[in-house]
Amino acid sequence: MSMIEVQDMGFSYTARPLLSGLGFEVKAGSFLAVAGPNGAGKSTLVNLLCGVLKAQAGTIKIDGRLIEEFSAGEIARTMSIVRQEFVPVFGFSVMEAVLMARTPYYGRFGFERAEDRRIAADALAATDTSDLALRPLSDISGGERQRVFIARALAQQTPLLLLDEPTSFLDLKHQVDIYDLLKKMQTEEGKTIVAITHDINLASQYCDEVLLLAEDLGYFRGRPGDVFTPETVEKVFGVTGFSGAVGASGFFLPLGVYARDRRR
Amino acid sequence: MHGPLTARRLVIRLGAAVVVLCAMMVACSLVGTEPVSVARALGFGAEEGVHYDYEILFRIRLPRVVLAAIVGAALACSGAVLQALLRNPLADPYILGISSGAGLGTIVAVISGVQWTVLGRSPIAVFAFAGALATVWLVWLIGRLTGRSQVTHLLLAGVVVNAFFSAMIMFLTSVANSSQVHATLFWLMGNIMEEDPLVLWVSGGLVMSGIGALFLMGPQLNAVSFGEGDARAMGVNTVVTQTAGFAIAALITAVAVSLSGLVGFAGLIVPHAVRLAFGPDHRQLLPLSSVVGATFLVLADTLARMVVAPAQLPVGVVTALVGGPFFLVLLVRYSRRVDWLAR
Repeated sequence: MSMIEVQDMGFSYTARPLLSGLGFEVKAGSFLAVAGPNGAGKSTLVNLLCGVLKAQAGTIKIDGRLIEEFSAGEIARTMSIVRQEFVPVFGFSVMEAVLMARTPYYGRFGFERAEDRRIAADALAATDTSDLALRPLSDISGGERQRVFIARALAQQTPLLLLDEPTSFLDLKHQVDIYDLLKKMQTEEGKTIVAITHDINLASQYCDEVLLLAEDLGYFRGRPGDVFTPETVEKVFGVTGFSGAVGASGFFLPLGVYARDRRR
Repeated sequence: MHGPLTARRLVIRLGAAVVVLCAMMVACSLVGTEPVSVARALGFGAEEGVHYDYEILFRIRLPRVVLAAIVGAALACSGAVLQALLRNPLADPYILGISSGAGLGTIVAVISGVQWTVLGRSPIAVFAFAGALATVWLVWLIGRLTGRSQVTHLLLAGVVVNAFFSAMIMFLTSVANSSQVHATLFWLMGNIMEEDPLVLWVSGGLVMSGIGALFLMGPQLNAVSFGEGDARAMGVNTVVTQTAGFAIAALITAVAVSLSGLVGFAGLIVPHAVRLAFGPDHRQLLPLSSVVGATFLVLADTLARMVVAPAQLPVGVVTALVGGPFFLVLLVRYSRRVDWLAR
């Protein structure tokens, strides 16, 4: 069963194509990492997958249906999205922000039921943010906020989770915490996870498949070990560096011209 | 610290606010330069044919208090909606060009000396209303042309149109004669006067239905406060929310402006005060701001006719003089929660 099915999809903002001939499949309950240089179209891909942008060629199917056939409410009940740039306004508290994820489930006069409160509380507990519930979003740290937004995505109770750089701005501990949490959601709750990331090392440790968008070079997809080879990474990102392996998974350390241990 | 909103909390708070508003409206009807006896006004112990107290209370004071309440509710509610839609705490009901459009309409009406009236409204009111709505429409159009649904473009369009129309107002003011200028100036400062009951019914009905419609958009406005992307992800049709929100907010503001001129500050500070005290949830913010805004303007207008009695101040002067310091006190008291204001 595939949760996402993209076929021969093309999109461009200008005359120059940004994405073209893109095709991939994400199986239900699997974890896909999307990587690639800045401007390769990663965030654009998220916007295409959630129907904000319309593909100019090809098709995108979510859960077997064309994305165009989804209503706004259906999309909100199918996928939740954690975005890159977020500016909290008007001092909403953590609890209020997470409860807002229940918007697709309440009616016109919109008030949460007891069940919605329980779901929001569970999401806070799962992301280890229960203590923050009454704090204003603007008062907590970037890492805490990132976890709160993942809690909000969980509270939306969707089978599919799209995350646009969920670990940007986070310290090492919070980075692995987030990935652990995502992995737990995948394995314990059977969620399908698509995460955009610049961290190919963490992606190698956690995800099942990788989609590497490489601008003019097209795209690469497959298992992390097959895609993130030193040659491919150096070619796609235009950097040189040191690569090695920790157990089953490889890692890549980029080294610039003035880096101490630069060899070539 | 405000806990999450529940329907019960909302009903209790809203009920309390309405009780305070009604008490305030009664109290403010009773104060004034002429003492009024309620008993006599209601016909107890009055000799036949003398309806002096009745006339003052029910034909002069009460309509004016009701008018102030309508204007206050409209401005506060539309201010809260625009702050949410533009995601900008500095937004007020006039930000998309309503003030300059209405001002231009007014000065055109004064200078040209037209005598059209609609539903018993003066030409100034008619022109102000038309000018306000036409300007918002123009700003909306420019915003749409320059960028797809980007609120920044809308804000910029509002600023540009405001600046241009203000220049035209200054030009027309400088060529007008002094009595015309005085009439316009008084209007620009925001002034509440006695209006006849038909006006109150029509504008009150418009404003109430507008506020009611906006209240239904509470959950959508909550989501939109987090940005359009997030709102869409939560299943909100942002185009419908923005279009309907701007249109209704503009309509009730235009009604308020045509009744009272440009009463400043109420639309900016009342939503902030309510947000600081009770939290930012729009399902509560909109109805509560409307009631608090009504109370605020009733009080301000009563001050305006009391302070220099028997003369009267424009109510806009009072809202700015009283509203500014009051807001500062709130800010200091809740300063821990308001770092978003400083951005």
